[in-house]
Amino acid sequence: MTDNTAQGFTVPIGPQHPALKEPGHFQFTVDGEIVTRAYVRLGYAHRGIEKAAEARSWTQNLYLLERVCGICSHIHALAYSLAVEQLAGVEAPPRAQAIRVLVAELERIHSHFLWMGVSAHEAGFDTLFMYSWRDRETVMDLLEGLTGNRVNYSANLLGGVKFDLQAAQADSIRRGLDFLEQRTRHYLDVVSNDAMFLQRTRGIGVMTRAQAEVMGAVGPTARASNVGRDLRVEAPYAAYRDFPVRMALDERGDLEARFEVRIRELFESFRLIRQILDDLPPGELGVRLPRRIPAGEAVVRLEAPRGEVYYFVKSNGGDRPERLKVRTPTICNLTSVVRLAVGHQLADVPMILAGIDPCFSCNDRLVQLYQEETGEGRSMSWKDLRQYGIDFYARRQA
Amino acid sequence: MRKRFGTMLPDICRSLFRRPATGDYPFVAAVTPERLRGRLEWDPAACTGCGLCAMDCPASALAVAVLDRKARRFVLQYHLDRCIFCGQCVVSCRQGCLRMTGTPWELAALTRETFVTYFGDPTDVEQVLAVKPEEDPGTPG
Amino acid sequence: MNPLAALFALLIFPGGLSLLAAGLVYEWVDRKLLAGLHNRVGPRWFQPLADALKLLVKEEVVPEGVNQALFIGLPLVALAGALSAAVYVPLAGLAPVHSFPGDLIVVLYLLSLLTLGMGLAGTNTLDRFSLIGATRTLTQVFSYEAPFLMALLGAAVVAGSLSVSEICAYAGEHWLILTQPLGFVVALIGLMGKLEMPPFDAPEAHTEIVAGALTEYSGRGLAFFHLGRSVELVVGLTLVAAVYLGGLSSPVWFAVKTLALLLVMVGLQALLARLRIDQTVGLWWRYGALLVLVQWLVLILIQRS
Ligand code: SF4
Ligand code: SF4
Repeated sequence: MTDNTAQGFTVPIGPQHPALKEPGHFQFTVDGEIVTRAYVRLGYAHRGIEKAAEARSWTQNLYLLERVCGICSHIHALAYSLAVEQLAGVEAPPRAQAIRVLVAELERIHSHFLWMGVSAHEAGFDTLFMYSWRDRETVMDLLEGLTGNRVNYSANLLGGVKFDLQAAQADSIRRGLDFLEQRTRHYLDVVSNDAMFLQRTRGIGVMTRAQAEVMGAVGPTARASNVGRDLRVEAPYAAYRDFPVRMALDERGDLEARFEVRIRELFESFRLIRQILDDLPPGELGVRLPRRIPAGEAVVRLEAPRGEVYYFVKSNGGDRPERLKVRTPTICNLTSVVRLAVGHQLADVPMILAGIDPCFSCNDRLVQLYQEETGEGRSMSWKDLRQYGIDFYARRQA
Repeated sequence: MRKRFGTMLPDICRSLFRRPATGDYPFVAAVTPERLRGRLEWDPAACTGCGLCAMDCPASALAVAVLDRKARRFVLQYHLDRCIFCGQCVVSCRQGCLRMTGTPWELAALTRETFVTYFGDPTDVEQVLAVKPEEDPGTPG
Repeated sequence: MNPLAALFALLIFPGGLSLLAAGLVYEWVDRKLLAGLHNRVGPRWFQPLADALKLLVKEEVVPEGVNQALFIGLPLVALAGALSAAVYVPLAGLAPVHSFPGDLIVVLYLLSLLTLGMGLAGTNTLDRFSLIGATRTLTQVFSYEAPFLMALLGAAVVAGSLSVSEICAYAGEHWLILTQPLGFVVALIGLMGKLEMPPFDAPEAHTEIVAGALTEYSGRGLAFFHLGRSVELVVGLTLVAAVYLGGLSSPVWFAVKTLALLLVMVGLQALLARLRIDQTVGLWWRYGALLVLVQWLVLILIQRS
């Protein structure tokens, strides 16, 4: 890392760096301003959530998993609830499912607005950053008014949702959406017509459809490369069966396309939310689940704002899960950053990174072992690791 | 529309003649939504001392002390600093004893002790405090 | 000029302390206006002063592997350059304290000292962000400096003198913004480049290279660079306002003119996204230089006829 001559000039970005709001480590070898090699190292925000989940009851885990991601918190709780409901062989009532989708779409709006601001900031366009975050407050307020919390909404229960939607909330959501829709139209104009901003996005970080498929890109990143992957359409869950979504696709694959795809998705979210408000199915808000969940395995895949979220839950019939596995979209998309950065200017790298809307703490499920002297990675078996831990503490005590 | 410079000109022009969007919070009280999930309130009338609220709390913020089940003497220990305002306890309590209030919502304090609340009859609370000075459920493993 | 008056002019007014104060005020106006355009609150009036004081009393960390003398000396040189440039420009709309034929060129070079100082300070350290920042800073100098200089020389040509006071005298009768609009545009945008304001802030783009050339600076050195930048903001605005907006005038009217220029600059900052360094260079040589040449061509044709 310190050798500048052998590997060329290496610019380390992170784990602490102004471009990254979360810890991740990148190394870019540059020739002048052009990146010739890129490397990523993860694991700085590994929190051991999956292991922690094994020690908590089914109910408590709902709130633990909601904290996997600070931005798409609802989608994680939803994925977990759906998995547990699948194991228990019950289904939440339609009204609850519709409210779940409503919150999920509001969350998508807040997430996309947040992303728009962050990417604009990476491009040095702080005005767009400030305005999009100002307008994001509107949807945050809507979420707070609806659920009672601004960030971790805790809308889900195992088997349903906590609250009902009343006329007062429906009205304020409609009003908020009108404002947001008008602003979103303006932002679409900005990102697709601002001459200065386009210099930073048009033709930058182009990912072809073939590349996107090989690298397993997901979510809006993939859809901007014309890969029609959207679980809300392909495998509708919760209320998406009754309220279908249209997929936003673009074939250009550059940063501009990623902006446009996300903004077009916003319009789709507005439409969907209005439709849900109009045709909210009547009925119960939830069903009760037993404290012990029948043994079995469940897999749930949902479309988070950043792409596919995957949950695997295994029960042995007890009052807590035996194993739980979470995979978040960032890990699928990170490969593309490392690949696409090569050949671009250093100045474009933060934009390319922001283009996938990365979220490090939710994607960190592993710690890379790394030999400081040789710079080589290495792997350890579970037995080795256990022995290492025993030795480590023995050494500390001695 | 066509590609052009300064697409955000209308925004910045409007902002020149507008107050900042930032709230004047410490000087002007912020309005909170009606549903805001804040501090927990306990109504002992219907409580059966079942302890479900404490069992389901993901943050170990609650503990129920049963002094006398027949006489319905219960004390609910609530750690405000641990509470994550998820509202699970409110749902878990089948008797409807628990409620989350949005006012006051400014919950900061200078010492940690102020965050621990004992709900219940004052004499009962004294008794609980005398018996076990500081019962700490801790966080699950 | 007697020595006492000279000292007063140099240290108290219009140079020295009052210039530093003016620098902080203008920096505040810059930040506050930008915040206003962003629909934010922005800093309170004493924030730039508080920043400067805080940095001045902070411990200065000198990193390993630097040339100590340069590390400590460069901020001083940069600030001194900006301060001495002030002697030759009509601060507050009053006649320059000191003047000699050809001082326009000297002023422009003194103003570049800050940027050069920052570039050198960046190359002085081993830090990679500093090195990239310094490379960008120095690259940028070569892109905007020539068009900026040529734009101001356009004014010198019509005034028939390279002395700031004589140009001001000429500009008092002719508003050059009307006769040389292209030169004015280039000079104003060149000033933004000089001050590394957005969209020309690639050398200190913090999402890529932290703080660019100044990454390793803390404490006093950083304070001096920041003060130097604030002073340069005032001096630059003064120069452009005096040359293009009607020369010398009463201090109040002059302040209005400089603030109006500042407003335009802040508006541009808010409207434009950051340029990559290659785009900056391209912009200056493709359009900046071209505009100035067109301006010169017009001037020459008019002078001939
Ligand atoms: S709101 Fe949640 S964290 Fe707070 S006491 Fe109730 S269950 Fe526990
Ligand atoms: S769940 Fe309700 S009834 Fe049971 S102990 Fe808690 S407050 Fe009392």
